[in-house]
Amino acid sequence: MKRSPVRLLLDTATPYLNVALYEGTERLGSLYRKGNNDHSVTLMPAVEQLFKDHDRNVEDLDGIVVGIGPGSYTGVRIGVAVAKTLAWSKNIPLYTVSSLALMASGHHGKALPWVDARRGYAFLGLYEVNDHVVQLDEDRYAHLDSYREEIEGEWTAVTSGRPDLLLLERGGLLFPVEDVHHVSPMYLRQTEAERNHSAK
Amino acid sequence: MIVLAIESSCDETSASVAKDGREILSNVVFSQIDLHETFGGVVPEVASREHVKRITVIIEKALEEADVSVEDIDLVAVTQGPGLIGALLVGINAAKAFAFAHGIPIVGVHHIAGHIYANQIQHELRFPLIALVVSGGHTELIRMQGHYQFEVLGHTHDDAIGEAYDKIARVLGLGYPGGPVIDKLAKEGQPSYDMPNIRTEDPYGFSYSGLKSHVINLIHRERQRGRSVQTVDMAASFQKAAIEHLIEKSRRAVDNTDAGMFLVAGGVAANSLLRERVAQTFTDISYAIPDFEYCTDNAAMMAVAAYYQYTHARQSDSMSLNGYSRLEL
Repeated sequence: MKRSPVRLLLDTATPYLNVALYEGTERLGSLYRKGNNDHSVTLMPAVEQLFKDHDRNVEDLDGIVVGIGPGSYTGVRIGVAVAKTLAWSKNIPLYTVSSLALMASGHHGKALPWVDARRGYAFLGLYEVNDHVVQLDEDRYAHLDSYREEIEGEWTAVTSGRPDLLLLERGGLLFPVEDVHHVSPMYLRQTEAERNHSAK
Repeated sequence: MIVLAIESSCDETSASVAKDGREILSNVVFSQIDLHETFGGVVPEVASREHVKRITVIIEKALEEADVSVEDIDLVAVTQGPGLIGALLVGINAAKAFAFAHGIPIVGVHHIAGHIYANQIQHELRFPLIALVVSGGHTELIRMQGHYQFEVLGHTHDDAIGEAYDKIARVLGLGYPGGPVIDKLAKEGQPSYDMPNIRTEDPYGFSYSGLKSHVINLIHRERQRGRSVQTVDMAASFQKAAIEHLIEKSRRAVDNTDAGMFLVAGGVAANSLLRERVAQTFTDISYAIPDFEYCTDNAAMMAVAAYYQYTHARQSDSMSLNGYSRLEL
């Protein structure tokens, strides 16, 4: 009998540490917990624990799914660095997913997931979640209140949400990576230095 | 023992494979210097973005060039600090993932230990010794009684020497980084401008902010008076004062301790006047300065330091290993 694929989900782009292990459609275990700017310390021990608790190891992985932002720049790089290294060095297929889509997938109906980007701005997106996740608008860096005013109908703004990988997969929001070496976070913004430089 | 080391503390993404703390099997360094030149200095967020973009390619290249397979690696080492925190975290998390994936122990290594151990690549260290660590972020005198026993004798009270070079190069319109260009121009000039005597109360301490301000004020004053600044002479004058300060404190440290060896380490160890003055000053004891490729940040020096750390001090860290922008040696 062919066994169901085992997949690891990682996301560190938001204030929440997000790690989950799946076998086929079943979530074997997960950790979704608010961090304290310490994803670098907690991510790998969480992965280690998850494998241990469910008697699996890296060799069992058929896929890795990583949240590539937008969100905290330093945060997202932690998950991406880990996912790239695991995928490259163990030759495991890698998939990327929006960190905002991950957040939205934990809700029902129309959701506006957002991550604070200071001065009234946020990294935000707009999703509809039913039996799958539909992306209604591009993830973007925008003024939160101004963006809210433009949304029609009923919706909920969310800043956290335990992700549902299967709803995202059904929605076609997991993107296979062809060349793992070239994966970078989705920052959606240039660095301040680059913006100042191009403004000159 | 084969060590894979990863270094990403500033603007070089580097990986190296080394055997027994001596034989460098590969040392792949990707410098982002061209990118940061545009901004007149290293921009931490730009550096971090570049690191995450290249980290796996660099590690793969280091393994290929060393012609080793993953099974041959006994230890993964990574720079833990000090450095730019966002930059450090890329290397640290890649290193942790690699070590975890292959069941290899991991150890976090101090960046300055790496610079000091860059000397061990070509010269056997003899203890006790005095090491002068000079770079864009550091100006320190360190005494070592044995392998992996560090005692910081003194450090800069304000700017690091490399910072002073960068600042003066900027005021002279010479671009970034300042060290190599000032060094080059200084050779064409005469130290004809008056420079202050640098004084610090601490016998092994350093200070560069006074010299830096003096040079900057002098340049502005000359310009205000409508006199052109003789760039080569200004470079020669500043360089002489900056390097003599290092030599004076270093000589004192060697004389006042029982050191039998003197080492120079860090990016400023590439400076030609410093190399010349060290050779003239330390004729009575042995001294070592790394080859140019091992002066600037590189993972080979981290692999060497990791070997001695493993054999003489801490053997491994857990998966909760973290990075630190400031870290005691």
